[in-house]
Amino acid sequence: MRSSYTCNRCLTLIKSSRPQLRTSSFRPNPQVVPSQRSHSTKSPAVPKKPSTLTTSASQHVSLPRRNLSSTTAYKFDKPFEPYEYVDPEGITRKMVLAEDNLFHPFTNSPIPEIRKRAAFMRQHAYCPHPSHKPTRQPTNPMDLESRKSSETGTPPRHVDFECPDCGIPVYCCEEHWADDYEAHLGVCDIMRQSNEDDHDLRSGRFFKEFEFADPQIEEILVNMTSWDTYLYTRDFDALNEDREMRQATALLTYPMTIASIIHELSPYSIRGEQRLTPEGLKSFSALRHSLHPARTGGGDTFANPRLAPPSIRLFILGARGESSLPRDTWLQLAYLFHRVQFSLYFIGPEAMAGRSHELPFPGALPERTPLNPFGAIVEDRISNAMKISTIVEYYHTIHKTGYFYPYDPYFDCFILFHPGFGNPRSSHEWADTLPLLLETKCPVIATGYSPADMQQDVDALEERFGSEMDILLKPDENLFRSLRWDLNDYDPHDVTCSNWGVYAFRGKRYETTKKEEGEEEKGSERTERSE
Amino acid sequence: RPFRSTYYDAQMRAAPALLRARAQYLVKNTLTGAAICATAISIYVYTIRVISQDEFDDVIVPDEPLQRPNTTPTQSLQQAVAAKKQ
Repeated sequence: MRSSYTCNRCLTLIKSSRPQLRTSSFRPNPQVVPSQRSHSTKSPAVPKKPSTLTTSASQHVSLPRRNLSSTTAYKFDKPFEPYEYVDPEGITRKMVLAEDNLFHPFTNSPIPEIRKRAAFMRQHAYCPHPSHKPTRQPTNPMDLESRKSSETGTPPRHVDFECPDCGIPVYCCEEHWADDYEAHLGVCDIMRQSNEDDHDLRSGRFFKEFEFADPQIEEILVNMTSWDTYLYTRDFDALNEDREMRQATALLTYPMTIASIIHELSPYSIRGEQRLTPEGLKSFSALRHSLHPARTGGGDTFANPRLAPPSIRLFILGARGESSLPRDTWLQLAYLFHRVQFSLYFIGPEAMAGRSHELPFPGALPERTPLNPFGAIVEDRISNAMKISTIVEYYHTIHKTGYFYPYDPYFDCFILFHPGFGNPRSSHEWADTLPLLLETKCPVIATGYSPADMQQDVDALEERFGSEMDILLKPDENLFRSLRWDLNDYDPHDVTCSNWGVYAFRGKRYETTKKEEGEEEKGSERTERSE
Repeated sequence: RPFRSTYYDAQMRAAPALLRARAQYLVKNTLTGAAICATAISIYVYTIRVISQDEFDDVIVPDEPLQRPNTTPTQSLQQAVAAKKQ
C-alpha cells in the first residue's frame, strides 16, 4: 500500500533495498531527493531516465510514472500552528487562528483571553431561566429577569452550560437550556456571530478594514443613505465580507452617527415619515450653516488669510470607550466637513477608561491649574481640523462654573452615546446634567444600544422632561449603527449593538409674542398655576 | 502599477461591496432605463410608421421593354402614360 506522503521513487528504493539495509531503509538516497524536487508536479507522464538519477540499487526496478503530485491528497490533521507573517504595512504579526475556524466554544478557545472571559461569565452571570429567583431589577422591558418571580423561584445560579450552537455559557444546566430554547433562539445566532468576531479580532490577521479612507476634495458628495454607499463614495477599500463590514462599522459608528445627523446631506429628512421634525430642521440648519461655510476667498497660506469662525464644539458626555477610539476614526468625522475645525470634548467620570497607558502611571491625571481648571488632556496635534480634549469630571460640575459658556446653537452640539437615562443603574447620574443641557438650547443627540434600551431612555426622558423638550430626531434605528453585536459579560443574553438607535432633543425655546390689547389670558400655565 | 479598484475582482466583475452600494438604486434605475429605451424606440417606430404610409400609385412605371429598346426611356414613359390615360 503506497503511503501518500512519500514519493514513489523513494518508496521503490526503500522496497528494493529493504532486505539488506533494514535500519537505514528510511533514509532516502540523498542523490534522489533533490532531483525529485526539480520535477514539476504537473509534468506529464514522461518516464524518467533512470541512469541520470539513481545510482545504486534500482537498475532492476521499472520506475512507475508519476503524473500528479500527491500533495493534494495530504490531509492536514494537525491543529493550526501559529505562524509569523509580514503584513502589508511591514509589521511582523503572528497568525493564531485561521479564517475558517473562528468558532470556538469560549471555554475551549485557543485564545487565553477568551477563556478568561468564559470563567468571568461563570462567576458573574446568572442563569436566566424563569424558575430561578430574580437577582436584579429588570433593566428594560425585554429583560429576561422580568419572567422570574421571587416567591416561587429557586435560588439563582451562575451560568455554567455552554450552548453548543453559540459556544457561550448561557444557562446553569442543560435542562434549563433545552427548556428555554425559544427565548435563547432569538439571540443564539447573533451570539454565535459575536463569538466568531471576538475570535477574529484576536486571530492575529491583518485588518484591512481598519485602514480608513483618506480625505477627499470638497466637491465629492458623500452619499450617506447607508453604510455601503458611504463607504463607496468616501472611497474606502471594498469590504466584501460581512465580517469585515462588522469590524469596521463597530468603530466607524461613532463618528458616522454624529456626521449623518449634522451633515447637510443627512439621510434623515422632514419628508415622508418625518424622522427629522421641523424643530430638528431648525436646530440642525443652524449647525449646518457653520459646518458648510460659504467660500470667503481665504486659503491656507499667509497670502490670503481670513477671519475664521469659532470651531464647532462637540461635547461627548458620559464618554467611556469612545474617548479611546483611534484618532484616525475620529478624523473621519472631520474629513466630511471641509474648511471647518472641530473641538471634541470627552467629558465624563470614565472618560479615561482604557487609556491609562497614555498617562505616566495609572490615575495620574493632569493637575488642575488656573489655565487648565479641570485637568483636561488636550490633543491638539492630531490634525489642524480637530482637537480632542478629555476631561474626567461630571458635566454638570463644569457647566455650573460657566467654563464653556456661551453655548451657541450654531456651533455647539451635545452627543451622548448610550447614556442610559432610563436604566436604573445609571439614571441618577444624569439627573443633574439633563436640565442643564436643556437650558443651553443646543441640540442633544443620544443613542441607545438596543431597541429596548433606547425605548427605556426615551420613556424616561418624556416622563421627566416631556413638556420642556422638543424632539428633533424621532427615536428609531440608526442608519449608521454598528453592524456588530457585542456580548455583555455580566449577562450574555443582553447583546448590545453600539448606537443601535438614535434620537435628538433640545430644550424648548419660549419665544415672546405680543399680547393683544384687552385679550385675557385663559388656560395659560402662568395665570392658572399661581392660584 | 495601473490602478485597480478593490470594488472589482480580478475578472473585473462587480464585487459584493459594490453590488450592495448599488442595490438601493437598482429598481429605480432599471425603470428609468426602460423608460428611456421605450422613448427612443417609440420615436423610431413613430417616424417609420409616418413615412412608411407613402403611396406611390401616382407614379407610373413603364413596362419592361421586350427586346432591345428601340425607344428611349423617355419615349417609353410617354407611351405608358398615354396608355394609362385611356
